[in-house]
Amino acid sequence: MNFCGLADSCAQIADSAEKCPQCGSVSWVRHDLCVSCLLRGGLEANEEETNSLEALLAEVQMRDTDWRLGNYLILEEIGRGGMGVIYRARQKHSRRIVAVKRVLNYHADSQETLARFRREAEAAASLDHPNILPIYEVGVSDGMPFFSMKFAPGGSLLQFARSIRNEPRKCVALMAKVARGVSYAHGQGIIHRDLKPGNILLDGRGEPLVSDFGLAKWLDATSDLTRTLTIFGTPGYIAPEQALGHQQGLNPAADVYSLGAILFDLLTGQPPFLGEHALAVIKQAGEQSAPKLRSIVPGLDRDLETICARCLEREVGARYHSANELAADLERYLEGRPIIARPISPPARLWRWSRRNRALASSLAGCLLLGGAALIWEGKNWRLEASLRKEIIAAHSVAVLPFLNLDAPAPDPSATQAINDALEKRMSAIGPGKTNVFRKPFAKWTGTGNATEVQLTAQQANTRAVLVGMFRQVGPNVRLSLRLLSKNGTDVLGGWTLEAKTLQGAIHAFVTTNVGAAIYNSLDTPTRSPNESQLDPVNADPTARAYFHAGRELMGRRTIPDMDRSINCLEHAVRAVPNSVAAHSYLALAYVGRNYLLSNPADVENAYHAANRAVQLSPHDANAHRALAFVCGLIGHHDEALEHSLCSLEAGDPSERALSYVAEAWKHLGRPDKAVQWFEKAGASETLTSDLAATLGDAWMLLADDERARRQYEISANFRPDLPEGWTGLCHLKVLNSDFNGARSLFKEHAAEHKDFHTTKPFQAQIEFFARNFSEAERLYDELHQANANDVSVDQYGALTNASALARLKMIRGDIRSANRLLDECIANDQAKLAKTPRHPEVLYRLSAEEATRGDTVKSLTYLQASITAGWCDYRSPRLDPRFDAVANTPEFQKILSSLAAEVNSLKQQLSSNSPQ
Amino acid sequence: MKPNGAVDSVGGSRNFATTHWSVVLSCASTKGKENKAQAALSQLCRTYWRPIFTFVCRRGYSVNDAQDLTQDFFLMIFSGNLLHHADPNRGRFRSLLLKALQNFLIDANQKRRARKRGGAIDFVSWDDWMAEAPSQLSVPARVLEAWPAERLYDLRWAATVAEQALRRLSEECESRGRRRVFDVLSSCLTADRRDVSYEKFALLLGVPISSVRRLVHQLRVRYRILLREEVAQTVEDLHDIDDEIRYLCAALAAAEGQSA
Repeated sequence: MNFCGLADSCAQIADSAEKCPQCGSVSWVRHDLCVSCLLRGGLEANEEETNSLEALLAEVQMRDTDWRLGNYLILEEIGRGGMGVIYRARQKHSRRIVAVKRVLNYHADSQETLARFRREAEAAASLDHPNILPIYEVGVSDGMPFFSMKFAPGGSLLQFARSIRNEPRKCVALMAKVARGVSYAHGQGIIHRDLKPGNILLDGRGEPLVSDFGLAKWLDATSDLTRTLTIFGTPGYIAPEQALGHQQGLNPAADVYSLGAILFDLLTGQPPFLGEHALAVIKQAGEQSAPKLRSIVPGLDRDLETICARCLEREVGARYHSANELAADLERYLEGRPIIARPISPPARLWRWSRRNRALASSLAGCLLLGGAALIWEGKNWRLEASLRKEIIAAHSVAVLPFLNLDAPAPDPSATQAINDALEKRMSAIGPGKTNVFRKPFAKWTGTGNATEVQLTAQQANTRAVLVGMFRQVGPNVRLSLRLLSKNGTDVLGGWTLEAKTLQGAIHAFVTTNVGAAIYNSLDTPTRSPNESQLDPVNADPTARAYFHAGRELMGRRTIPDMDRSINCLEHAVRAVPNSVAAHSYLALAYVGRNYLLSNPADVENAYHAANRAVQLSPHDANAHRALAFVCGLIGHHDEALEHSLCSLEAGDPSERALSYVAEAWKHLGRPDKAVQWFEKAGASETLTSDLAATLGDAWMLLADDERARRQYEISANFRPDLPEGWTGLCHLKVLNSDFNGARSLFKEHAAEHKDFHTTKPFQAQIEFFARNFSEAERLYDELHQANANDVSVDQYGALTNASALARLKMIRGDIRSANRLLDECIANDQAKLAKTPRHPEVLYRLSAEEATRGDTVKSLTYLQASITAGWCDYRSPRLDPRFDAVANTPEFQKILSSLAAEVNSLKQQLSSNSPQ
Repeated sequence: MKPNGAVDSVGGSRNFATTHWSVVLSCASTKGKENKAQAALSQLCRTYWRPIFTFVCRRGYSVNDAQDLTQDFFLMIFSGNLLHHADPNRGRFRSLLLKALQNFLIDANQKRRARKRGGAIDFVSWDDWMAEAPSQLSVPARVLEAWPAERLYDLRWAATVAEQALRRLSEECESRGRRRVFDVLSSCLTADRRDVSYEKFALLLGVPISSVRRLVHQLRVRYRILLREEVAQTVEDLHDIDDEIRYLCAALAAAEGQSA
């Protein structure tokens, strides 16, 4: 029946006719309030109304003013996904109603990730097409990114689909418009990645508007702590290559697949693949052809079946080449002209199939020739048998990725071969199967077993599973960690850790224990990593569960009072269920979140304790280790940070963030050479090269390889113009080479863009300070000191602090009293920090500079030596830093620095001899 | 756009003797007061456009045609026709509007006067209206398919009344800076539900459980009063409020009984 266009104008169609338990009515508002009961309440109105609602409201401490996003007043939550929440909101001045989407569970630890979100959201905001939902503004509030867009009052295809299900032409016309919009975006270089009915909204006239272009990955991935499946997109609508975890190689064909799946759903009432859970759906999409449209709704036009089938081809190349082609074919259908897509002939299908299954195909070729391809193809029994044979041959095949030596970090081919041989021997003793070392090098090999490399390996080696391994020296032993991953790169089939005196010993242990059998068995019974938070004991206790869930919900709001309450709730949960890993992990996150908003050192310590406890409770939890590594880095426990970041890799965390934590730790531990290697690894694992460029530049700068440092800073400045790190790095190189005029002019060129960054002005002061333009430096530092009495910006080059620089300047001007007052404060602060982290290289170095300013040569040199032992390796800054004037001419100072320079130089030599560029 | 009847303080505005509909009726035929009547009528139409649109849709018109017809119907009303018809009959705004709409559709069919889309200025800005006061009514598909247009009109009307009162309650909480109280607790407005965790609500709002219970009670009390105020806007005599509510409840029950 041609009835009811706009979901909202008439009513949304409920999927189930849930009856009100009170009155039996089936009409609801907001899905939770029965219309009939609401009305009948009016008959029971109490005329004795008092003002107690107003008084009661006033008792609630938490006011809404705490909850605004930029210029928007949040009116109500209208949707929530894994990582995003969407509100109806009112813009402050225009009073226009908009929709605001906020990215939740966001990692507060990376300014760079934030900027990347911004850049991608701004790209999406530049799309201007009548069938793409316009984005009005991209912003950040409390460190949490959000964007505002047109409020689409017609709801989404989720609600609208039912009302046009019996009108195929309407479905086609709608999808033709959607495909045009998608095609326009592709032309602008933006792929959607998560097209699904919920992302196709309708305006007041029922015109489709595609939302969330290019932003899906920010909205739908679950937070790291709860992540069990790192697939972006929605099962049922995503292309198989995307389901297999292929993020980088995604092209417009993935969106074409999703468009086909949506059309399929519109026409039949169900997506092409159904299953009990997401993994089952994804598995089917990867392994089977989509069902034919008319096998579900026989009355539909054959052309529509052909169009859908063409979109839903598993082979990327067999789909429509573009969304535009699809749109054109849909329009041809509407106009009654012949469509371009043709049903695929059986021989073509067979050829495609054989390309996918080369080994089996060759062995079956003879049989096919005998029987006649088309005939056999039609026989269902044959298909069954073939798939069975395929299973038998391929089920027990394992590819062995080159094992990663974490101490190098580099692949170790001989260890890999040894393990492969051992594994093959064991497996052949148990049953049929094959292993092979996968030697073909990837352009971006990390060895950590991330989804992309596992999937590529399995595809190219044509195996069921991939064995990933790494080893390192732990005390007197070598620890070998092995993980068996299914070919989609996300299912963990098994994990083992072995320790022995030597690597050969560990491999021997591997051969002689039952690990081989375990691998064979786990190939037979694939297991899925269970959802940690569901298994967590916090869910067993109703009160603790209320606290835990309230804490998580409040944390998502990311305002200071909400964070306070969130911490409060999670602490209750932790007290009630002291062995809950999830509660401890979230508590650590909440503390880190509040520290991000407030910079409160106590929060960092509490985060440390909570994360530590989570690791104690579950020593093989990758996320717990990674959280702890991050917190350790924050408080300067760099050796612990290193240990836990390595543990998180061993426990199976393949993310680039874990790799960059290892790099950061090495940088602070005085091994910029290792930092460089790990940063390069981190940059290789994802398309983060430009994000990591500035930090990699810093590592090269520490190695005094200014040419490579400059190259990285330039990459950062060019690709991340939104961040100051690139040009400040370039400026700093000029300072280190005493080219102060060059540094000044570079500063002048760029400073205006980043004048509000907290590092910009201190950096200007530093240039003048090191240039010994003392009057100007003092003026700048005075301003900074007045603006911010508590000097928290300690992340400056050369471990400079505003207060200690100002103390030196006062000293130079003869204002000894002010200088000493400032110095006493600085030294007391740093001594307090040192008591907590006795091997903190920056703190030791700062104390050295401050003691030198005070004139205590002996103490200064002692601290300097200690800081170098702890990992300080910048030998150029102290030679320029006026704080060291008192010791600069002593032979000891010279000696310490030249031996440091020699050491750094040998690291650099070693590095370049290991990996010639 | 706040509804005209926005309340100045929680618990205030109990005296709603002059309702929109009574203003329309009393001013319509009085010289010099037509503007006042127009304003009151316009306010009512802005609130109750969905039942009209639903009725037109259910009569088999496409979405676009239904939108155009709704626009035309409003234009007809504002040209004064409804008021002239209204005066002698008196009665509820709801039933009068429906009667006028039925006549209008017969008329529209006879004349087949398809207004050129985009030609005239739209009275209704669909996007704005829907964005300002989105509806979240959901009903099973069989209801939309099986109920006659008149019943759907009543259902949509009943839902509009209920949603309008909800909206005002949320605005009152918002004006007190406590929108969140509404967001967290409004699901408890109808009746006690077993799956409700007062403990979690207490944690989310940072108040004791006893306060949550009192807040829920007071929200219900206030909601009922606001609901009556909404209904009052559409009747001439305040004594008719109970009858109008009973009518809408009975209409829902009867239709649901039919379709079950």
